[in-house]
Amino acid sequence: MKNMNTLLFVLILSGAAFAYADDAPYESTYKPLPYTNTIFRNANIYDGDGNEFQNTDLFIRDGKIIAIGKDLPGSSDFIEIDASNKWITPGIIDIHSHMGVYPAPSVRTSSDGNEATSPVTADVWAEHSIWVQDPQFALALKGGVTTFHVLPGSANLIGGRGVTAKNLQRNTINSMKYPNAPHSLKMACGENPKRVYGNRNQAPSTRMGNIAGYRKSWIKAEAYLSRLDEYEAKSDEAKEIGYKPTRDLELDTLAGVLRGEILVHNHCYRADEMAMMIDVAKEFNYKITAFHHAVEAYKIADLLAENNICAALWADWWGFKHEAYDMVQANVAIVDQAKNGTGCAIVHSDSEIGIQHLNQEASKALSAGLKAGYEITKARAMKWITSNPAKAAGIYNETGSLKVGKNADVVLWSKNPFSVYALAEKVYIDGAIAFDKESGLEPNSDFDTGILNPTKNRIKE
Amino acid sequence: MKNKNLLFLTLVIFNIHFITAQSIVIKNATIYNGIDDTPFSGNILIEDGLIKRVSESSLQADEIIDVGGKIVTPGFIASDTEIGIVEIGALDVTRDDESNIYSIGFSIHDAFNPNSTLIPWNRANGITSAITLPRNTSSPIGGLGSFFVLDSNLKISSEPDMVMIGRIGGSSSSSRAEMLSLTDDILAFAFSISSSDMKTNLDIDALIDSSSIANFLELKARDVKALHKLINKKMPIIIKSNRASDILKLIEIKEKYDLNLIIMGAQEASLVADQLAESKIPLIVNPINNIPNSFDELASNINLSSRLEDEGILLMFNASRDHNYHLIRQGAGIAVANGMSYGGAIKALSSNVATAFNIQDRGTIKQGKVADLIVWEADPLEPSSMPEKVFINGIDMDLTTRSSRLTDRYTKNLDKPNTYRN
Repeated sequence: MKNMNTLLFVLILSGAAFAYADDAPYESTYKPLPYTNTIFRNANIYDGDGNEFQNTDLFIRDGKIIAIGKDLPGSSDFIEIDASNKWITPGIIDIHSHMGVYPAPSVRTSSDGNEATSPVTADVWAEHSIWVQDPQFALALKGGVTTFHVLPGSANLIGGRGVTAKNLQRNTINSMKYPNAPHSLKMACGENPKRVYGNRNQAPSTRMGNIAGYRKSWIKAEAYLSRLDEYEAKSDEAKEIGYKPTRDLELDTLAGVLRGEILVHNHCYRADEMAMMIDVAKEFNYKITAFHHAVEAYKIADLLAENNICAALWADWWGFKHEAYDMVQANVAIVDQAKNGTGCAIVHSDSEIGIQHLNQEASKALSAGLKAGYEITKARAMKWITSNPAKAAGIYNETGSLKVGKNADVVLWSKNPFSVYALAEKVYIDGAIAFDKESGLEPNSDFDTGILNPTKNRIKE
Repeated sequence: MKNKNLLFLTLVIFNIHFITAQSIVIKNATIYNGIDDTPFSGNILIEDGLIKRVSESSLQADEIIDVGGKIVTPGFIASDTEIGIVEIGALDVTRDDESNIYSIGFSIHDAFNPNSTLIPWNRANGITSAITLPRNTSSPIGGLGSFFVLDSNLKISSEPDMVMIGRIGGSSSSSRAEMLSLTDDILAFAFSISSSDMKTNLDIDALIDSSSIANFLELKARDVKALHKLINKKMPIIIKSNRASDILKLIEIKEKYDLNLIIMGAQEASLVADQLAESKIPLIVNPINNIPNSFDELASNINLSSRLEDEGILLMFNASRDHNYHLIRQGAGIAVANGMSYGGAIKALSSNVATAFNIQDRGTIKQGKVADLIVWEADPLEPSSMPEKVFINGIDMDLTTRSSRLTDRYTKNLDKPNTYRN
């Protein structure tokens, strides 16, 4: 018996070594659930690229979308689902989430979203704060969210790296990370950094202090990058003689932005500050992928479109801060329609509740846009929570719309998803069913297990 | 018992400013009157600020507004707001929701700003009146809320200090047992003075001097008067509480002191729904909040409203995001999507608030009530659907908001520089 235990132990050890040996540190080890190859018949579809198809079939196999069309021939290899009078959309993508870094319950011991100890903390990575047992993941999944982008908070001018994850709860963050998705860099304008550090009699305490703070950091990053480039340009022999520049975690991240490998996501409310941030980006030759919150984006919608910058916006939240006072509900629509409809609008919620109803947030934004006189279809508005956030997260080639060859991230809705009464009935991630209202298949975190009543899960009967 | 009922605090606010005595008929309406579960087709006659008749046959008036079958509901009443006392959340100089001196008797009534931008905004989204509550004090019970009509008139229509607030639950500073004991002590003091003569502040000072708890809490005359009203007038008291065990304790306290108790939050109410129904405690819940946001809220569930409705509990809604108190409509829609009845959800936004707070003249579409009405462009529980017309005190309100003005500035007359647009 003792020997057997030892043998087992050795097997486990070698198994573990085998499983982890090939993985580079910090890289995604994500594996999809077993594929559920499925034909959805007679569905109404918003494809996420701006198109609507009625009474159309959708085929998913081996994790991918393999066909969309009418009256496609069937096969016994597929589960067939009658989707008549129902709606299919791509899996919803939340571009601004703090799930895991501000998990539920909201308690001091796991509020890990803001490293508010220095105004520039480009060295921290949000993924190193994520609590994988956060019960909010499963709630978001039931709202159709298949992918989410987690950012550090906005206390700092430069808050650290964000990460994109699949909404499949796992025991390690690496096994949830979206394979090959780029990192992002969180930056923040305005009231938050100047309040946090100003209250400590430390820079920045003003908006001009904010701008100086970013510029000083980029100057350091430029110097670091040129040292790296200089070293890498050397011949192998020269490299052996010289010293490799000492790694600096903070500057690694900033250099990653300057090299175009890391996408800048910039929390910024006021129009005049966004315009200034565009100047900072020009000065140091980096690109801003998206402004977040951007309550005043409508005031500079053309400027955003010209610079190919997305804006991730609330449908209607306002007034909690002075810089959030000039809210208009048509903000999303105005950004979307800028420069002949070339604007990139994203609907976000920045809320553990709102993330469960992003379809309704898009619906409110659409309604306001129509009232402001724009002609916007529901199919186009669906882009605000699917393909546009996919582009901003750098994963549009793989997900964010229902195109043949893309990942089968799919939601089946009971009704038109622009209605408050629509519920997600089935949610697929990479062609595998992750939530099924009908059969009761849904994830439960360890947190949910036996906590209110030892014989039950938290919210299951 | 009958006499005692007469003592109940009843709210009849008739401080109405008539612009015109012109009568109006809203014709061809699909009416959810806040009383019946199902709608009916009919016409509503508005005269002198009141609903004069509701009829299926045609009615005559100076002005006829044919709404072509659109839904008409009572003006919705938000039961948990900071409207009029907080303009910008993070800007202290625009906040009037707390006091360093008064606790139990702290009234926010006189701070109310009828020119707040929140008023046109929530009105244009279907809220015609609201209960404004102060921030919770350090005392487990304390602070007085007032009821306001959202007509933007500088001469405000209100019912001052018509509800007390309180809070029981987990906290980083002290045990919930301490909060419960303190609540019991304060209420015992309130009960002991209920038959006292309180003609002058000197009388009240004597009462405070004779009570160790009143002394300890450094109560002022205003605090004692508020407690007197709580017991003698059966003023409603909203206590924020979530955990099932705390809710059961609150039921005991309600029975012991015969309180007019309303519980807010109530995230674990479904675990004690029988007891809540039996003691007829109305609840203010946020139907959209299913987050186990604290260890008091582990039973948070999107089905909460539906389960409580099934037990026959009187429900009202609040919304989690400040400023947009109208989002109780979206919450109501989500409650319906998750099993609540449609008629029940409409009542939770209107007549249930009037019932729970004894607001006698509003909350339903019925002959004799004040004409607070909404004509909806479509389903009022769809957040994409907006009011087409809002009547407050029978007046057809302007629906312009600062937000709609800013929208116009950036979508119209674009040939002019923006600062020279309207």
